[in-house]
Amino acid sequence: MKGWRGLAVGAAALAVTVAGCGTSPSGTTAAESSGPKTLTVWLMDGSAPTTLTDALNKEFQDSNKDVTVKYEVQKWGGIQEKLTTALTSDTPPDVIELGNTQTPKFASEGTLLDLTGDAANLNGSEWLGGLKDSLTWENKQFGLPFYASNRTVLYRTDLFEAAGITAAPTSNDEWLAAIEKLKTANASNPDFQALYLPGQSWYTLLSFIWDQGGDVAKKDGDKFVGSLDSAQAKAGVDFYKKLVDASGTKAPKDTDEAKPQQMEVFGTGNVAMMIGLPWELGGAVKANPDLEKKTSAFPIPSKTAGKAAPVFLGGSNLAIPAGSKNVDLAKSYLKLLSSKKYQDQLGAAGTVPGTSKDTASLASNPVGKALAASSANGKVTPATPKWAAVEAGQNPLKDMLTAYLTGAKSLDQATGDANTALTALLGG
Amino acid sequence: MTAVETTDAAVPVRTSSPAPRRAVAGGARRRRGSAFDRLLPYLLLAPAVIGILWLIGFPVVSVVVTSFRKLDLGELVRGEVKWVGLDNYTKVLSDPRFWEITVRTVVFTAVVVATSVVVGLVIALLMRQLSTPIRILLQVCMLLAWAMPIIASTTVYQWIFDQQYGILNKILVKLGFDYAGHSWFSTGTATLSVIGLLIVWQAIPFLAFSLYAGVIGVPADLYEAAGIDGATAWQTFRAVTWPELKPLLMMVTFLSLLWDFKVFTQIWVFKEGGPSGGSTTLPVLQYLEGISQSHFGVAAAVSVLMVVILTLLTVSYLRKLLQTQEGKL
Repeated sequence: MKGWRGLAVGAAALAVTVAGCGTSPSGTTAAESSGPKTLTVWLMDGSAPTTLTDALNKEFQDSNKDVTVKYEVQKWGGIQEKLTTALTSDTPPDVIELGNTQTPKFASEGTLLDLTGDAANLNGSEWLGGLKDSLTWENKQFGLPFYASNRTVLYRTDLFEAAGITAAPTSNDEWLAAIEKLKTANASNPDFQALYLPGQSWYTLLSFIWDQGGDVAKKDGDKFVGSLDSAQAKAGVDFYKKLVDASGTKAPKDTDEAKPQQMEVFGTGNVAMMIGLPWELGGAVKANPDLEKKTSAFPIPSKTAGKAAPVFLGGSNLAIPAGSKNVDLAKSYLKLLSSKKYQDQLGAAGTVPGTSKDTASLASNPVGKALAASSANGKVTPATPKWAAVEAGQNPLKDMLTAYLTGAKSLDQATGDANTALTALLGG
Repeated sequence: MTAVETTDAAVPVRTSSPAPRRAVAGGARRRRGSAFDRLLPYLLLAPAVIGILWLIGFPVVSVVVTSFRKLDLGELVRGEVKWVGLDNYTKVLSDPRFWEITVRTVVFTAVVVATSVVVGLVIALLMRQLSTPIRILLQVCMLLAWAMPIIASTTVYQWIFDQQYGILNKILVKLGFDYAGHSWFSTGTATLSVIGLLIVWQAIPFLAFSLYAGVIGVPADLYEAAGIDGATAWQTFRAVTWPELKPLLMMVTFLSLLWDFKVFTQIWVFKEGGPSGGSTTLPVLQYLEGISQSHFGVAAAVSVLMVVILTLLTVSYLRKLLQTQEGKL
């Protein structure tokens, strides 16, 4: 009986606790029709310069009374998982930015608002082709292009001059020769790295594979199957290893360019080259302002002298989640962002604007020039909703690189295993 | 051992003696009294039971139901219900990787639980022997380690074991070993060893404190008696400490088993289940299927299978727990 009483008291206490959980204020109540509204905008880290977004948000708030723009910058790492959760929730953000390789997955599953009818209003005639393809699913447009960019070799002009390199390399052989010269000239600096190249920089690997004439996957009927076991793809992987070995890079072989952020390593001043996006150079300059006058860029060289290697055309699209509560506001926000005024600012910031064909602002600096030169040769990953799973989970391309670079697997074994895994992901 | 049995035996003898029988009869009459009196305990229990069912029962049922559905991102957004019977289970069970991962998870859990419980027990016994200031110092240190957020300590461990800048490699080089640029994560086993070390480190404070509470609960006169009988330290442990501690030890082992079996955060943060999937355990597989590939039905099937495996692992303990009336532990 004593036991009963004890248990009962415990039960009552627990009930109070549980009830306490239940009655705690349950967050936000969405303001639907009238009164102040909040437009939640998620853009990605490094996308649009803050000068642009500050001006944009201010202009939008000034012209829409009672509207507050809740502007949040998201990190690329883990963004797919975050979007999956956000888009299936009751209160998704109102405007989101999606990587072009991720867009097909979200478009094909009906998580995004169909913007086909609004294209004319959003500068539809000037949309960037490569990005437009990525946001089109079954002939409908589920977003609008934001910007495109691609990797170039970002380098230190002062170190190149000091090493006696007069012109930027235009072939793989010249590139390797430049690395040797840089190493000799900086032999006294133990922290020096001629090229910073982490083991899992797989977008860079794509360039090498394409340059050799291979591809990661090929279309087989209505499915994609891996083609990493082709001789061309293997040659691309092999060149990656050649670069890592020749440069003596101290970068970890089992992480990508974001761990640690390669721009931070470049910012230390002991690195002569890195393969990266323009915003990464911006980040390095921010950390070390001395670098601003000493840096430039050249397109990733090809095996054929005088040509540029094909590059992965990276980019972003803007979209409105299907569950957004502020569709009209979101559309007018996107209309403002797609106007020439803001598109020119994107170009000036060193990216190819998504809704304006006028790229004059882009070629105003050396990095932009290199970008424009190589983006003509831009390619994309297989256009299938399944591709997102390759990037979000355990990317077989990354595992392949680490296994081969560390010597854990032979070239044949590493590419073979990765191919099997890739085919399974693209098929499943 | 004998000491425990005597105390246990003393209780039933007293209750069945003739004198209290009258009291028992009286109690029974009171219970028969009013319907409200009889219902009262259940009424008091009801809010808690309903709360628990709502918070725990509903998700469990939902996972089981989901495991029989095809639920990808599209179905989730459209709110479509598509029954596929046992398809998800067939898919999971027919994948040879699943069995490889299951074996890896079970071995990993066993090693981590055994190590942490043994080290926790040793520290608990050690604390009994320490002088008060030293013991308090040790307890404060453990409390601090315990209070550290999981991600923070995982990050610290990542730094310690970093290939280029890690303090461990630097120290080993200083000591004359050739560990410059050594990668501690070159294979799945190596990666899991480092993660296992981290999890053991995180688990020890709880185990040491719980077991220490058990250790100081052992009556001092038992040790005195053992001392008079001339028992060695080992004999004292076997005959006095062990029997008193055993129920508690079983409980914390059981809890550790539950916690370590479903460890996800540390493994994912370290190498996302790599290299080449070598440190992928069942919770990581669940994440890959569910969140990365948006096959929520398949992920739910993995969850259900995890519960089944965990039940099989703990069945002997659960049986004992169910047999023990009145919560002997």
